[in-house]
Amino acid sequence: MLSNLIVQFINGIALGSTYALIALGYTMVYGIILLINFAHGDIFMAGAFVGLLLVTVFHVHIIIAFLGAMLFCMIMGIIIEKIAYKPLRRSTRLAALISAIGVSIFLSNLANLLFGAKPTSFPPTEQILFKIQTYELVAGAQITNLQILTIVTSALLMIGLQYFIKKSRTGKAMRATSQDYDTAALMGINVNRIISYTFAIGSSLAAAGGVLVGIYFGVVKYNMGFMVGLKAFTAAVLGGIGSIPGAMFGGLALGIGEMLAVAVGLSSYRDAIAFGILILVLLFKPTGLFGTQIQKKV
Amino acid sequence: MFKKKNLLLLVSFILIAAIAGLAAGCGGGGDTAEQGEGGGAADADVVKIGFLGDLTGDTAVYGQNTLTGMKMAAEELNAAGGILGKQVQIVEADHRYDKAEAANIVQKYITQDKVSAIVGDPTTGITKATAPISNGAKVVQISAGATGLEVVEIGPYVFRNTLLDTVGGPATIDYMINELGFKKVALITAVNSDFSVGLSKIFKEAILEKGGEIVVEESLQEGDTDFSGQISNIKSKNPEVIVYSGYYTEGGLLMKEARKQGMADIIMIGGDGLQAPTFWELGGDAVEGSVSYCGFSPEQPTAETAKFIEDLKAKYNMEAELFSAQGYDAVKILAAAMEKAGSTDPKEFVDELAQTKDFPGVSGVTTFRENREPIKSPVYLLQVKDQKWTLLKKVPVEM
Repeated sequence: MLSNLIVQFINGIALGSTYALIALGYTMVYGIILLINFAHGDIFMAGAFVGLLLVTVFHVHIIIAFLGAMLFCMIMGIIIEKIAYKPLRRSTRLAALISAIGVSIFLSNLANLLFGAKPTSFPPTEQILFKIQTYELVAGAQITNLQILTIVTSALLMIGLQYFIKKSRTGKAMRATSQDYDTAALMGINVNRIISYTFAIGSSLAAAGGVLVGIYFGVVKYNMGFMVGLKAFTAAVLGGIGSIPGAMFGGLALGIGEMLAVAVGLSSYRDAIAFGILILVLLFKPTGLFGTQIQKKV
Repeated sequence: MFKKKNLLLLVSFILIAAIAGLAAGCGGGGDTAEQGEGGGAADADVVKIGFLGDLTGDTAVYGQNTLTGMKMAAEELNAAGGILGKQVQIVEADHRYDKAEAANIVQKYITQDKVSAIVGDPTTGITKATAPISNGAKVVQISAGATGLEVVEIGPYVFRNTLLDTVGGPATIDYMINELGFKKVALITAVNSDFSVGLSKIFKEAILEKGGEIVVEESLQEGDTDFSGQISNIKSKNPEVIVYSGYYTEGGLLMKEARKQGMADIIMIGGDGLQAPTFWELGGDAVEGSVSYCGFSPEQPTAETAKFIEDLKAKYNMEAELFSAQGYDAVKILAAAMEKAGSTDPKEFVDELAQTKDFPGVSGVTTFRENREPIKSPVYLLQVKDQKWTLLKKVPVEM
């Protein structure tokens, strides 16, 4: 029993770290321009497909494919921002939201057109990476090297992000812009560029999540962005939308919560439980667990 | 003032365009439909048979194969003069494994195309969702793939020519317990699939009846890709075999996850929902050795079956399998009933159809019982060897 719980806990951390990577994109974009980028889940999907293409069609090493997917989605994120969101920056928030939904539908249907509706398999892990090994832990529980890789990669990316935000000048500028957009502009920060950076970083993290999920679960599908996007959004809200540590925590908490639900035999309800958490958070603590301040008053 | 007027005009224009679009769309229905001449009464020299199936979604393999079988049957009938002198025309559409879309398509076939019969759906769930519509309109619907419970009970115009789960399931479990020796079972069900829910019931009963033990039961949602939790649970209970009652996509992924978590030798036993190359495309080596039952195998063929296999390869460059064979048979069974009744009007040939006895189909000898349920013999037990379904055993069925 205990060993199963530990195993599910580890499953949850692996799943949760991929949610966290995607949630970061949501939270960063919301923090800066108060937009919930519904297309973000589909950038995750695009990252997974690009990684798959690089490995199967261009036969590059998986690490290069990983970086390649991140680069591709970075550029894609910037382009999407310039085309679909920037023109609406002075419009109502609803307009930008609808635009985001439009981009999401466009991307997933584009993937459907290009790759078909059937799920596509990622090449077996032995071929592209390494043979799966299990390692014994406490109480008979086991962890696989693939899980370790997923968790460590996500952790490294998140630590890298934290470092960038806290220590670099651009990071400082990003924090300033998300605190107060207009004042930052008055202080001489090039807010347009900062916003582009935000989308670039968020999208590349989503792409990283996409490739990791592709390797971990072995399958990519044109509509995989939808459900994962919603769950990552839930994670961001759970942790406090706008807060970066919040997104990381929210992702992990959601992943672990889902897995524990499966562990106690409620596997059919795992999605319901994930979204139930969203409802509870919005009802009782809308700013989320690590949520920062009061909403901006007019 | 000027701006408000513009806005009003724009909104009115959009509303009108939307209503016009909706009207056209509702009448339209399915995607790629081959329309016959006009939408009036059934044409005097053409008999239309509608294809209901998935061509691009999660069960695309079934739809594509069924359609090919149907087309080949239609071609052969037309070459021999058609049915009662009328040319057979197959009307196509793709429901992408969406129940609402499937219902739309059936409505369109009945009201616009005026089909004499519909062959479909290959899945139990969608057949059950659409059969009430055809039955209500007194149009014959025959499924060349639905094997689950409570299908033909929907009404007197609903038929199927498949190997039933109630026959195939117990035969497979019998083989599993008595010849493979696996008694401790992990049973997985896809809770949002009618086929899977029904088959799990059948499997469970058979397992308990024949002395097996279900050490753990798990569930999943079709469309999920993460099964790490369910497999971890299963692994902790040490089963000897995994029994899964759902379709090939999740089946392949489940086995992949099982191998990933260190269950190196366990195999999967399932229903004919696993019958598709995608099972090993997604599952890789993990699905080697898995067993399922099926209403068809190209190995050890009868004379008719051998000819069918040859023709299918020659004309469509396709390997014969369950759904193309049953789709082909479905059209031929319909043709036979229409000829006997002397009419292509479903209200007139439905009784002859219900009396089909010992029809020599390429997928097996088929008889419809009193309650219109098909009995087909034999049950084919297949095993995945070298990424292909190969024949393990033929179990004859009492007709």
